[in-house]
Amino acid sequence: MLEFMGVDTHYGDLHVLKSVDYRIAAGEIVCLLGGNASGKSTTMKAIMGSVRPTAGDILYEGTSLAGIGTAERVRRGIAPVLEARRLFPRMTVFENLEMGAYTRPRGAEFDEDLARVFALFPPVEARLRQIAGTLSGGEQQMVAIGRALMARPKLLCMDEPSMGLSPAYVEQVFDIIQTINRQGVTIFMVEQNANMALSIADRAYVLQTGQVVLSGPAAELRENELIRHAYLGELKLS
Amino acid sequence: MNRGAPAVSEYGVLLQQVINGLSLGAMYALLALGFTLVYGILELINFAHFNVFMVSSFVGMWALQLLGISGQGQVLTGFALAGALVFAFVATMLAGGVLGVAIERLSLRPLRGVPGTAAMITTIGVSYILFNIILLTVGAGSENYPNPLPVVRWQFGEVTLELKTLLIWGVATVLMIALHLFVNRTRLGKAMRATAQDAEAAQMMGVDVDRVVVTAFFLGSALAGAAALIFGLYYNYTSFIIGYTAGLRAFTAAVLGGIGSVPGAMVGGVLIGLIETLGGQLIAVRWTDVIIFSILILVLVFVPTGLFGRAVPTKS
Amino acid sequence: MAGVGVSKAARGYGFSLARPLARVSPRARARLAVFGVTAAALLFPLVNQNDADIDSAANALAFAALALGLNIVVGFAGLLDLGYAAFFAIGAYTYGAASSWQLQPVWGGFWEPFQWLELVTRFHTAGGDVVHFQVSFWLMLPVAAGVAAFFGVLFGAPTLRLKGDYLAIVTLGFGEIVPIVARNIPSVTNGAMGLNGVAAPRFFGFDFGIDATPYYYVGLALVAFLILTSQRLKDSRIGRAWMAIREDEVAAMAMGVDRVRYKLLAFAIGAAFAGATGTFYVAKLQTATPEMFMFPVSVMILVMVVFGGIGSVWGVVVGALLLQILQSWFLEDLSGWLHSLGRLVGVDWLQHVELASSIELIFGLILVLMMLYRRQGLIPATRRTRTLSLDEQTVQPARSGFTDLAATDHVSPLPLLEISALTVRFGGLVALQSVELSVPAHSVVAVIGPNGSGKSTLFNAITGLVPTDQGTIRFAGAEIGRLRPHQVLERGIARTFQNIRLFPNLSVLENIMVGMHARLATGPVGAVLRLSATRGEEAAARERALEILSLFGNRLLPRAEHPAASLSYANRRRTEIARALAAQPKLLMLDEPTAGMNPAETLELADQIKSLNRQGLTILLIEHKLDVVAMLADKVVVLDHGEKIAEGTPAAVRRDEEVIRAYLGRSAVFA
Repeated sequence: MLEFMGVDTHYGDLHVLKSVDYRIAAGEIVCLLGGNASGKSTTMKAIMGSVRPTAGDILYEGTSLAGIGTAERVRRGIAPVLEARRLFPRMTVFENLEMGAYTRPRGAEFDEDLARVFALFPPVEARLRQIAGTLSGGEQQMVAIGRALMARPKLLCMDEPSMGLSPAYVEQVFDIIQTINRQGVTIFMVEQNANMALSIADRAYVLQTGQVVLSGPAAELRENELIRHAYLGELKLS
Repeated sequence: MNRGAPAVSEYGVLLQQVINGLSLGAMYALLALGFTLVYGILELINFAHFNVFMVSSFVGMWALQLLGISGQGQVLTGFALAGALVFAFVATMLAGGVLGVAIERLSLRPLRGVPGTAAMITTIGVSYILFNIILLTVGAGSENYPNPLPVVRWQFGEVTLELKTLLIWGVATVLMIALHLFVNRTRLGKAMRATAQDAEAAQMMGVDVDRVVVTAFFLGSALAGAAALIFGLYYNYTSFIIGYTAGLRAFTAAVLGGIGSVPGAMVGGVLIGLIETLGGQLIAVRWTDVIIFSILILVLVFVPTGLFGRAVPTKS
Repeated sequence: MAGVGVSKAARGYGFSLARPLARVSPRARARLAVFGVTAAALLFPLVNQNDADIDSAANALAFAALALGLNIVVGFAGLLDLGYAAFFAIGAYTYGAASSWQLQPVWGGFWEPFQWLELVTRFHTAGGDVVHFQVSFWLMLPVAAGVAAFFGVLFGAPTLRLKGDYLAIVTLGFGEIVPIVARNIPSVTNGAMGLNGVAAPRFFGFDFGIDATPYYYVGLALVAFLILTSQRLKDSRIGRAWMAIREDEVAAMAMGVDRVRYKLLAFAIGAAFAGATGTFYVAKLQTATPEMFMFPVSVMILVMVVFGGIGSVWGVVVGALLLQILQSWFLEDLSGWLHSLGRLVGVDWLQHVELASSIELIFGLILVLMMLYRRQGLIPATRRTRTLSLDEQTVQPARSGFTDLAATDHVSPLPLLEISALTVRFGGLVALQSVELSVPAHSVVAVIGPNGSGKSTLFNAITGLVPTDQGTIRFAGAEIGRLRPHQVLERGIARTFQNIRLFPNLSVLENIMVGMHARLATGPVGAVLRLSATRGEEAAARERALEILSLFGNRLLPRAEHPAASLSYANRRRTEIARALAAQPKLLMLDEPTAGMNPAETLELADQIKSLNRQGLTILLIEHKLDVVAMLADKVVVLDHGEKIAEGTPAAVRRDEEVIRAYLGRSAVFA
């Protein structure tokens, strides 16, 4: 469904992503792991279109995303759950959800999606009229995921869903991610918490200073010693 | 209608000034709203806004003259009056809006993303250009404003209420309600609020930020146009300098209410209107400019968020 | 590019003298140009005897002086002052009060010593004897400058913490209040009617009178003096401090620049320029009205600065002169031609157009066009640099570290840096919770931890960029928790930043020399006078800066004059480290110094850091690459969610369960 082919990105003259390849098949949960400054967030941005590759190509459902703007990507079925949530702080929960469905017309589908979000996140329904900035971190994360679901995406891109959450909420969130996946949404997730992520993912890639150093089925990677090295930033002199 | 005003006590004078202050305040609120809409999204202080206001007042004048109205002698009533006013308001607001959009497209969009005060300096330049075009074409004198409103007064004890005062309150209220509805109930309006709160996230939702900016400029400048027509009908004159004088007050109103906040601009506008009339009455008219500048400085230095505003922007 | 800059520049200006001029060095060419301009300026009134023209020229000089003053505030220090004309007014009215018929207090014994000093005279009027002020113009020049400087500090003080556009608005406010006050206190200023009988200057018995020529020469001398002062300030420690503030205030503070002092200094000196000019202008005009000092005048001066080149001394002078010439001569001539054209073609409107009154429209157009198309102005402040030779461009990474740094000599058993119970909160969020940290002298301590663990906050707390809620920070035995960033630098702590905060438009060398700010002593007076002590200090500073650059071999030295923004990422990191070293710190704090470097470059830098440590420098380091940490660190401290969760040798920490869990995350409760 989504494919990175030899993608390079630069930030000024800093080479961030170095010829990375990912493949995400429909229906999978794939996670992207890595330590600090490994290029995880840049990957997210490249998918959403705020960063353009300097080399290589990104394919979505077979067609290249080059030159396609963010709004169009959302319309085609890619929705983001942003790092640190980034809800619109002074809008209500309902308005945030509405913004998630910005590119779609109102009507029966909107109501269906809203019902689905309420089913997944009962606390969200209870707080519909509350100002988003006053919610706790965990509640905000639920709204953020709900907001992305309102776009009725085929591919959900999640940037560090566990960041800043208490352990109880982390479990809930990962639980919900699995549920969403079972409902047919492909999930591509960037995550620092490798253990948690690997427990629900089908496959994973490990990124280190912009290069993919490990990849494979999640079960295999969990046993792999090397993942610890990659995370703790040991250098590979290549 | 009154025949010979009764002797007015000091209390009555003050009350009258409060009425005047509320009328002025309504006008300043409209002008401040336009200014704050743009600031909320772009964090840009748009100096040109106040001369868009000035230019629009001339457009309003020409629109009324087009209808054959000149000076205050030709009074209309009933449907003719309503029609004339609607025509004038639409023309003026449209002119203001188009001018605002043109300014954004030509001089500000190329500077989007340039750090520092370059964009603000550009708006100073545009402001100058507008000001001087009018000065050079129309001249420095003040122009008698065509006014189809009949002069109707009602007396309430020591206080006089005029038809034009009610008109101002009416128009301002209608426009503010309309803006409130737009910003809170329509898709584009919510997109505007979202962009003002987090432009990058809004973009990730598929919002076209360019379109939002253009809308903000159009609406803001249209509001300035409405304020401009109100100015002309209230004072029966316009001139090339009104952008500066009214602008200072509206600007302070926006800052006082909290730059970027819509309710702030409304409240700030009314407050400044009251301060102007009461200050002029209680201290002296010639010091009102100094009073208002002082309020501006004090708010910016000590309470930069104003009454309703959010945290001060981090851009330097 | 600029490789063949010489003849290309000459060609660009269309001179047929390109060949011979190309053989003369740029330095000598500049001198020649200055000499030529000076000669022309001195001879001008003798060549063109028209008094009106000379008067226009004198006005132009006044505005050139004003542009120079605003250039210091806006161009050097980066503070957008929209109310600059207020200082012009203050200078004018100060002289007006001191030397006109405006103020006439009743005569009393108090005034006798002043009469003896010839500052006042006793004047008989119908109502009794009054004091007539007649302080000498020459005395008032510096006095008015001083008074204006005082107001510069007064108006500048509230703006110190404000960001660019808010600062502009506040200065605009002050700029408007001054003429309004002037209009409304007629007893002192005679309001809109203008000052009464301002005295003309006298020079050894020669009365200036109404002829414009002597004023022209005074104006010329004033502008020459201000050009010299501006240039000297710019090329001094003061100018560098200002430009550092302009480029990146936070980095400037961290490098030892007291931003309060230097911002106020910029306001004061800029205002002083305007104050002196105000005195000159009012003496020439022999009156002053509030209209002369309102917002349009402030804007006009700003247009001159923007047009000529923000930050460029000669640029703003040229900008001011060109715009004045445009206004006084060119537009009138052009109007005349248009009138003739109108008569020729029979178009009525053309015959009556007066372009001179449209000068403000032109100013508006200039502002907009310059901002859109040429923000650096006619004569840009930053110079072009030559391209590098192939040799200079290619460098092989070396693994030897530094060998020739002067060793620091302090030996102490106590910990150099001691932090206890440090807590930092941002609103409701706890960034650091009761952190304990001890850095022994001459050691290397590394701070590691996952994203958001508080490492950078720790650095910011130590260097005073972020206030602490609880706890103490002791450096070399003294508490530094309450100090401001530049004071922390003075004590001996220098740092680099995670996202590299260089001064982008300053050259690499200038960046390094800003690092030395706290170790040099030249003040504004010394900078302007440029006595041998100052020159010696500057030369020594430059030497030392080049020495530090040479520590990095061929990477930075060839690029010493290049703007920092043009360097590669890795070189920018090195420059930032060099800048920190220039501050002669006892403790060097590096925030992710090897981020973005490839393995070879990383090892090279690690070696260099190691050798710095071997020569006595204590190092506190945030680093993600644990191999580097293992190579360098004596001790590792691990932070997670603002708390210290582990401490020990690199090997021990690497095996620590808690640490692994912090990085890799807690396991799922159910698999």
